[in-house]
Amino acid sequence: MHHNKQPHSQENIEVWADLVNIKDLLLALVITSALTLGAYFIAPNEEPKPLYYGLVGALIGFIISSIIIKPKRKFETTEDK
Amino acid sequence: MLDAGVIMQMLLAAVGGTLIYTLIGIAPGTDETAVLAPVTLVLVLTGLEPIVILTFFMAAIIAKKLTDSIPVAVAGVPGGVMAAPMVEHAIVLKKHGKSDLSIRKMASGSVIGTIVAVPVSLLLANILVPYADQIQGYTNQILFGGAILLALMSKNRWIALASIVPFAILIQGLRHLYWGVGVVPEGTNVFISFFLGITIGPVILTLFELLNKDKRKAMNRYDNKTIALQTEQSQKGLPNPFKILTQQELSMSTLASFFGSLLFVLSPVGITILLGELVSARVKDPVKKSTLAISSMDALTNASYISGTLIPLIALGIPLSPVAIGPANALFNAPPVFTLEHNMHHLLTKTDFIWAVVIGAVVAIVITYFIIVKYAQQICRFVFKWIPHEAVLGLFFGLVLLLAHMDGGLINIGGVLLIGLVAGFMHRLGINYGVQFMVLYAAPWIVTQLAGLS
Repeated sequence: MHHNKQPHSQENIEVWADLVNIKDLLLALVITSALTLGAYFIAPNEEPKPLYYGLVGALIGFIISSIIIKPKRKFETTEDK
Repeated sequence: MLDAGVIMQMLLAAVGGTLIYTLIGIAPGTDETAVLAPVTLVLVLTGLEPIVILTFFMAAIIAKKLTDSIPVAVAGVPGGVMAAPMVEHAIVLKKHGKSDLSIRKMASGSVIGTIVAVPVSLLLANILVPYADQIQGYTNQILFGGAILLALMSKNRWIALASIVPFAILIQGLRHLYWGVGVVPEGTNVFISFFLGITIGPVILTLFELLNKDKRKAMNRYDNKTIALQTEQSQKGLPNPFKILTQQELSMSTLASFFGSLLFVLSPVGITILLGELVSARVKDPVKKSTLAISSMDALTNASYISGTLIPLIALGIPLSPVAIGPANALFNAPPVFTLEHNMHHLLTKTDFIWAVVIGAVVAIVITYFIIVKYAQQICRFVFKWIPHEAVLGLFFGLVLLLAHMDGGLINIGGVLLIGLVAGFMHRLGINYGVQFMVLYAAPWIVTQLAGLS
């Protein structure tokens, strides 16, 4: 999904106490916002359906973003005890 | 009286809240207000029974508080703002190779905190009830006084104090604009979306900065974050908090929780640092000192969260604690369903409160305590590996857009971004959430008073 020319370069920034890649962040914001508002607008105009549709849209956006974006964390396993 | 259907819904809500917030609690950097308030708001708006929502909320905070200290123990990364004071002590234990012990002590502390805080809060709320009528007559003055008090108690008190009136004018300015152009009926105060705008203000400000080329270039860049995990090992048998904690840890946790509940009007992080360091100050051995500190701190955070929610809710119906004004806000004010004159305080009876709290607390403790003590490492690994921070930010942003549009149409999306920009900037200047939320409540009164003076 995102093109890393130099996979080991430092290209993450810190937003709200964790690291993100700017392009990935943009992607997640666009996907989730579009799905949320899209679902909200196509919902039948009777309460509380627009809210429910919007929430489902947000959740789908979250799941899609989680699948296509890799967390900016790596693991080291230490042997203890 | 409660019927079986409602009890069933309460149980489901408690299980749902527990499972969701077990995972969210572990995700790094999740602010309590940001993760609890929007979801609770949405549930209130869907029109679920108030008692079901309260059950959900109790289960959610207890699960969140039980779990947000886990990544501290496993990786030295705080799972939330409240877990930050524990990092120092948890790292001592991690260095001694005792992450496992750390988790068991913290989770057990949480359980003690809950067991102490629930009855103390119910009792204290009952003591306050006779004075409720008098206090409620001065709601506006109290909220304004609360903004001033929180400003004075914060680290950057003068700038916080100076921000109160301008911020109140921004909020009321937008509300009057919406009435003027007719997107919101006159007299209806847009609240929920402004509240969320303040909550994610720091993120909005950073997003705007990314649009500025020079700012973007100047930002610090990082490689992927390295998280050290220990080899997995599972526990045998059922854990028992009364056996895991030593006599001293047990009594200090109980004592700290008791005082933490009494001090419900103060900031939970503040109380945790203050009392937590106080109880462990005299112990010399580093491992014993750290286990005592983390178990009593975890007990305290739980206790101050429970009391900060329950006491103002049961006794007054006015959000008069940092917890009530932040994460628990939707239980007090979520127009059009709840307002300060018509919320859980007015709708639920004393027995309703007890049922909701007991079901929420018991379900959360039973599920989280046993799962966590057994599978802490695996849960951490799953969350760190599969949930990108980008997706979390995207989810919040989407929710804010949705609720902004529901509150005041397209124009309010711009309005909420404006509030977020200003709030984010204020946050960066050192003006904390508590002051900003209090101003949001007190804004109509502040502006009316100012207009009356001129």
